[in-house]
Amino acid sequence: MSRLLLLLHTRLALRTTAIILLIVTLLGVVFLALAVYLRAESVQRDQQARIQELLTTVERTAQIGCFLGDHHLAQEVADGLLSNNIVNAVSIDAEDGTTLASGRADREGESASSVVRDVASPFEPETSVCRITVEPNQAYIDKLVAQASNFIGGALLLQLVGIGLCVVLVVVKFVTRPITGLSHRLSELEAETGQQLQAPKGNRDDEIGQLVISVNAMIDNLVQSLGEERRLRLEREVEERRYRAIFDNVEAGIFELDGAGFIRSANPAFRRLFDMPGEKDLECHPVAFTSLLSDGEGTAPSFVIDDDASEHERQWEVALADGGQQRWISLILSPLETGRLQGVAHDVTERKRAADAAEQMAMTDPLTGLGNRRGFDHRLAVMARHHRLYPERCHALITLDFDHFKRINDTYGHQVGDRALSHVGAILADLVRQRDYVARLGGDEFVVLLEGCNQRDDVEPILTRFLERLRAPLKVDGSVEVAIGVSIGVAMLGLDSDDPQQAVQFSDMAMYAAKRAGRNTWRFYEPVNAT
Amino acid sequence: MNRVRNFLLATTLLMSTSASADIAVVVNANSGIDHLTRSDAVNIFMGRYRKLPTGNLALPVDSSTLKARFYRALVNKDLAEINSYWARLVFSGEASPPQQIASSDDVHQLVTQNMNALSYVDSSQVPDDMHVVLTLGE
Repeated sequence: MSRLLLLLHTRLALRTTAIILLIVTLLGVVFLALAVYLRAESVQRDQQARIQELLTTVERTAQIGCFLGDHHLAQEVADGLLSNNIVNAVSIDAEDGTTLASGRADREGESASSVVRDVASPFEPETSVCRITVEPNQAYIDKLVAQASNFIGGALLLQLVGIGLCVVLVVVKFVTRPITGLSHRLSELEAETGQQLQAPKGNRDDEIGQLVISVNAMIDNLVQSLGEERRLRLEREVEERRYRAIFDNVEAGIFELDGAGFIRSANPAFRRLFDMPGEKDLECHPVAFTSLLSDGEGTAPSFVIDDDASEHERQWEVALADGGQQRWISLILSPLETGRLQGVAHDVTERKRAADAAEQMAMTDPLTGLGNRRGFDHRLAVMARHHRLYPERCHALITLDFDHFKRINDTYGHQVGDRALSHVGAILADLVRQRDYVARLGGDEFVVLLEGCNQRDDVEPILTRFLERLRAPLKVDGSVEVAIGVSIGVAMLGLDSDDPQQAVQFSDMAMYAAKRAGRNTWRFYEPVNAT
Repeated sequence: MNRVRNFLLATTLLMSTSASADIAVVVNANSGIDHLTRSDAVNIFMGRYRKLPTGNLALPVDSSTLKARFYRALVNKDLAEINSYWARLVFSGEASPPQQIASSDDVHQLVTQNMNALSYVDSSQVPDDMHVVLTLGE
């Protein structure tokens, strides 16, 4: 049974035949039933008609028999009727109810509806003389019906078998064979070489031909897109290799970030830059980019990526403290796609250091190692900005000028003069705090910026100590002692003026006031002095 | 004169016979039967009833000269059919055909002599000593 099901499942011809046979059988059964029914009706009718004919044949004799009440004659008629095999029983009854003759054939079977014929008098057609009741032989009728049914059934069965065979043959010949052949050829086809499928002979113009044309079109498409795919893959492999080589060997760190700020990939240079172990698997253990930065300056830039902001390239320079030594990294982030950023990291420490050193040099007085005028201007600008932000904080501006520096130069030579300048610069640098600033503006003129001196009283101790230390003469070459005197002017930024330039001016004026007051002393700026 | 009258009468009778339509079923005047229906006549002449309505045995008599006309008038059959009818019954013996009498005089004699006799004459020539029980129109 399951084998048959499998066969039906796998054989188109069988399935088609089975379905057609099933339909034909169902129709056949319906037709057969109808035919048998109609045949039975017609046989029944035929037999009734035959009985009527029989009755008509014997009617005249029956008329006479009945008319005369002649039992012999009536019996003769009844026997005659009974001699027909379609008659089961005959009864001839006179009008007064007496039975003139009757008979029953010795046959089995139930009786069908009887045929009754009223027999008229042979001389008076309106007068009925008797009634003949004939009982048909149902068994015989049934036999006739069965014979007819068997014939019809046999014919139908033959037709069914014929149709089945024809359908199998036709389906196998015109459908299954071509399809099977096609399937074989298709499986042996080397489509990637562009080989085309051949339609079976005689099927070129029908649906199977259409199928072959469609398959060939599909093969063409496939071959084409396969070639294109292969070319693209090769191209991409080359690109990939090229990129990989750059990625692995370039000095710049290259990395990728996802939307949450985690590093998705990083090249060896990047790992070197940020001291990441080379074998660390970033796919399994993602590292937040900010965590790499935060062990440096402490203030890591936020890398929350929102799509709007990440449309453009962004650049930072961040400082990393690497074992006490500060390193500078330049970061360039550019969006790759939604939620992905590519970054390039450069170690710019050297450049930064060089730039810093150059700047330092540009703002340093080579003789004393203190700031120069440029450095002072820069610092003053910083202070001005600071003062604008915090006007309540005061700062002291101190201007120093050697007394009779020309005399030292002239007496001991320029070398000693330079020594004197260095000496004073060293004392000043030693006295002030880290955040204060000392510069030589040029010649023998020094400036000191004291941050956060809110009143003059804060300045005075420093000046006192300075003059104290200056009082000890400078020894040159062991024997020569040089006495140095300095005039000092002080102006308070925030008290005397809110404008740094004006404060410088005021302190200058105060310095001259000190010179007028007899030198080697200090003076605060007094507005009255100005007037 | 008489002869002429007789001739005329005879001619008239003959003419009336040939032209006349009716046949009268007659019985002995003393039979006690006043009237018969057509059915009674059929049943008696065709052998179905053997008895008269009076209960006596019926004795139907065929008059050869009028036989064809009589049966045509009674059952609308010709003599061949009537003969064929009786032929069927010869074997069973249940019924027998009426007695056949050739001359009308013999019929007249039989009917007048036998109380149970039953026959037919032309209705125009019914003798006085016979009783007409049924007239059959032709």
